[in-house]
Amino acid sequence: MPGNLLQQALEEIQKADTTTALKDVEVKYMGRSGQITELLKTLKDLSPEEKRSKGQEIQTLKTGFTEAYSTRERYLQKAEIDAKLKAEFFDITLNEINPTRSLQAGTIHPLSRMQREVEQLFAEMGFQIADGPEVESEYYNFEALNIPSHHPARDMQDTFFLDHPKDEKHGHLLLRTHTSPVQIRMMEKHGAPLRIIIPGRVFRYEATDATHDSTFNQIEGLFIDKGIGLAQLKGVMNEFLQRFFGESDIKVRFRPGYFPFVEPGIEMDMLWKRGNHSKWLEVVGAGMIHPNVLKAGGLDPDQYQGWAFGFGLTRMAMLKYGIDDIRHLHSNDLRFLNQF
Amino acid sequence: MKISVNWLKNYVNIDPKTDWKTFEELLTVRTAEVEEIINLSKSYDNMVIGKIESISAHPDADKLRVTQTNVGSETLQIVCGASNIFEGQTVAVALSGAMVRWHGEGDWVEIKPTKVRGVESNGMICAASEIGLKDEIDGIMDLSHLKFKPGTPLAEALQKDDVLIDIENKTLTHRPDLWGHYGMAREIAAITDEKLKPLTFYTQYNQKLPVIVPVKVEAKELCPRYLTVTIEGIKVEPSPEWLRTALENTGNRSINNIVDATNFVMLELGNPLHAFDTTKIDGGIHVRRAKKGEKIETLDGEQKELDTDTLIIADDKKPLAIAGIKGGLHSGISPDTTSITLEAANFNPVSTRKSSTKLGIRTEAVQRFEKDLDPLLAEQALDRLVKIILDLCPNAEVKSSKQDLNNFVYKARHIKFDLKKASQKIGVEISPKLAQELLEKLEFEVILPKTKSSQIIEVTVPSFRATKDINHQDDLVEEIARLYGYEKIPASLPEVGIRPAAPNTERREKHQLRDWLSLELGFKECVNYSFYSLKTLENAGLTEAGHLKIRNYLSAEQTHLRTSLLPNLLHSASENLKNFDEFKFYEIGHTYRHVQQFFPLEEKNLAGLVVLSKKNKQEPFYIVKATINQLLKRLQLTSLQYGPSKQMSPLAHPNKTASYTDGRSKQEIIQIFELHPAIAANFGLDKCKVACFTLNFTQLHPLPRAELKYRSIPRFPSIQFDISAIIDANKEVADFEKAIRKADPNLIRDVQLFDLYQGNNIPEGKKSLAYQITLQALDRTLTDAEVKPVQEKVYANLKGLGAEIRG
Repeated sequence: MPGNLLQQALEEIQKADTTTALKDVEVKYMGRSGQITELLKTLKDLSPEEKRSKGQEIQTLKTGFTEAYSTRERYLQKAEIDAKLKAEFFDITLNEINPTRSLQAGTIHPLSRMQREVEQLFAEMGFQIADGPEVESEYYNFEALNIPSHHPARDMQDTFFLDHPKDEKHGHLLLRTHTSPVQIRMMEKHGAPLRIIIPGRVFRYEATDATHDSTFNQIEGLFIDKGIGLAQLKGVMNEFLQRFFGESDIKVRFRPGYFPFVEPGIEMDMLWKRGNHSKWLEVVGAGMIHPNVLKAGGLDPDQYQGWAFGFGLTRMAMLKYGIDDIRHLHSNDLRFLNQF
Repeated sequence: MKISVNWLKNYVNIDPKTDWKTFEELLTVRTAEVEEIINLSKSYDNMVIGKIESISAHPDADKLRVTQTNVGSETLQIVCGASNIFEGQTVAVALSGAMVRWHGEGDWVEIKPTKVRGVESNGMICAASEIGLKDEIDGIMDLSHLKFKPGTPLAEALQKDDVLIDIENKTLTHRPDLWGHYGMAREIAAITDEKLKPLTFYTQYNQKLPVIVPVKVEAKELCPRYLTVTIEGIKVEPSPEWLRTALENTGNRSINNIVDATNFVMLELGNPLHAFDTTKIDGGIHVRRAKKGEKIETLDGEQKELDTDTLIIADDKKPLAIAGIKGGLHSGISPDTTSITLEAANFNPVSTRKSSTKLGIRTEAVQRFEKDLDPLLAEQALDRLVKIILDLCPNAEVKSSKQDLNNFVYKARHIKFDLKKASQKIGVEISPKLAQELLEKLEFEVILPKTKSSQIIEVTVPSFRATKDINHQDDLVEEIARLYGYEKIPASLPEVGIRPAAPNTERREKHQLRDWLSLELGFKECVNYSFYSLKTLENAGLTEAGHLKIRNYLSAEQTHLRTSLLPNLLHSASENLKNFDEFKFYEIGHTYRHVQQFFPLEEKNLAGLVVLSKKNKQEPFYIVKATINQLLKRLQLTSLQYGPSKQMSPLAHPNKTASYTDGRSKQEIIQIFELHPAIAANFGLDKCKVACFTLNFTQLHPLPRAELKYRSIPRFPSIQFDISAIIDANKEVADFEKAIRKADPNLIRDVQLFDLYQGNNIPEGKKSLAYQITLQALDRTLTDAEVKPVQEKVYANLKGLGAEIRG
């Protein structure tokens, strides 16, 4: 009964647990006087019809055996090599010993990482990335943004002025206190519609401590077109914060806020949850661009409208990475940089 | 600013069941940010009025006595050490669970039943300072004047059952109308759908009465309005309980009834007021600019020198007050004052703010005047003040007419307001009816459109919102949006065409440079300030010329804007040497240079440095060079010419410096060099080896790039041979390699230096070079017979350079 024979042979193949034992099984069935070999030998005494049918049966038996044999053989060979390899000791807790290791692993500054991430998120939403000069004029930094010379907001944004002769139109040179001057420059250059973000370094005349620095980074966003309103600002901000923090149920609230270059002016808070604690965190200042600002940029406020928003990139980086002291960001201490 | 809810209740109904958390949220999203809601009664939890029924001596202590004190529900035995207790006295009792401070000092501790020197004591009879109030007498607080039953909560008895709404002042910058309780009540009425109650004013002025103190407004441009009235028969005394409580609960000091009344009306209506002692005014009042060098002693006894930009209130002889900022000591109210002249005015916001900043005096008055107050408010404030003072001093009488000097013309502001546009901006359909309903809550007057199809309403702005807050349509958009509720505006994403945003290739390349330098080449990215000190720039060998200076710098370390990224990077390197011996730094940032035009030349730059320990055999210069070559490969920039630097950096070692020049502009776009030893020493970097690079990214980015093109892989094998030669140590390898390649430019595919040696076995002044040379033909396998002549030619060329071939 070739069927039973195959069954029996396959069982023995599976039972063989070394290549030597497997070899013995092969000899038993396929060897010179193996059981399958013996069966083949009986063929010659049969009639042609019987020879054909029997012959096919034995052939199937043979193929079945050979396939099972070589599968098992490959398996056992690998198992034997592995067993040998496993016997060798190897210490995976060890690190490469390399005296110049410190020269090989570079790091990207957390502010650059953060900026790039934010740029990417907004680029995916169709925003163009723009920038502008860090040394600005009073005109671009204040007047054009609806902050006339005696406006209290000029105190709010304490300013570094440069020792430089005054220009009739532009007033004094200063270090920009926000990225908003680029709004005007972009409107002047490209007109409307406009959909841009402006990341950049800004400066405030402010003594340095753990939460304040004279230099920090902001990101400004601007969307000008026909029929743009607060509903879309809400939509874009929700989308951005969800993607940025990787959470789908970011809770935000809009509340009235005052910035001279927008009307209505809005402060956007985000509900910041850590464990059981939650509190509203001021994250974004925003609003509908003030008609005076559109005019300064050469746009017609009756035709175009839009919103602007701004937030502290430095602050976002501190929130996201849990950096507790702003001074680390300009310390360039390798013990800090190496963590990024 | 702290707003008292008990005070507000005079003007608007506040639901006693108000959940303060929800209220805080509501006021924040509708009007202004609430910083905190402070429940004053909280610190009086478990404190009640008690009545001492009996006192007996303590068996074990002379100074202690044992009282039986009725606290309403029961009578407790309480041991007390104060000497001013007596039977029948009404006192403040801290029960078990109350938080007190022993003798008004140290931490707050919880009261528990205890034994004092063996005698049981269940509570504490408190001194004022022990429960956070000011001690007015030695010993415990005697509350016998209060007619409260034992057991009454102390908060109620002391009128501390108040809730304070602490508003973030910054969010009231543009709202002069909210700088008083009445304005805040109006806002709260609007957002909680309540009615604002009217105030009562004094109205029976007799304009036939003489002017007792004549006023002349000389600096009209700085004083739109100045009102006075004189009242006689005043009795200066402590304020009654309600007035004291109102002021103290909101964090103000109670002084006397007259001063308190002026402060009360300021905190009520938002218009600062002042009371002069009439007898101390010499002649009349002059509202004028101060004379240069004129001096005044302010209420708190400080001498201030004035100048002509500052507006003052003076009499015929001397300054009486700094207008809108602070009163003078001399003309203030004293206990003997019987005649007062009240001032209610409106001062120019800009000049008030500037004078305040210049004098370094910031007061409640300044905070209000600088917001641009409604000139109509001044008169209301005066009428209100007179009413309150007459209530406080029943025997007092208005003895003068009301003087009103005004230099303004009030015209109601009307705004035509297109709701179609407003709806679009808000993102919600606002009907004329809805707009009317919302705006009228804030006392705007609204005229609806005549036709159904029109969306244009006409709005009249109330005077108290008209000074600077509400000028045009968009200001009304804000009023409607916030009253409607920002939270009800649906979020939607803008519909955006399929045209994608134009890429910012410059920004992309900057980020790529970071990837290559940090992730591929092992550099650490630094971020430094944009400024440095004169000393730092001089230490770096730079000169002050071309630098922009900061006029109002914060620190001597930050006086000049950088023209190069390197000085600060060198400083960073030096700082890190405390913890590390070797590292590679770079920074990408702006540099700023003064040129012959208004705006400076601001360029984006990349700079880097390699710091190696002296023990390291590598030359940092060559690491920098390899770095730049790899960057240029990544940038696909093949057009720059490498060679000696012609515009050598002042930081550079004069011999170890090279540059990559743009052929067209002849600009050295990239410079590489070893740091000059003198400069290294200036930065404390003389114990290591430093090489630097600078790359002008603004100039580099627009340069044309080579396309990346595949070159077919040769099908026929190559043949290599080595050659070793000795040559003068001061010969450049480039010449050597050129000589090798010249032997057969077609067949020689590659020339690689694999050893460079100087020292033992090599004569003095010589160096040994070993090269591997690869020959290959594109169309056949080379034979030895073909290689031989090339080899000979190489030998000959090198000998021609003075080399000695060793094999």
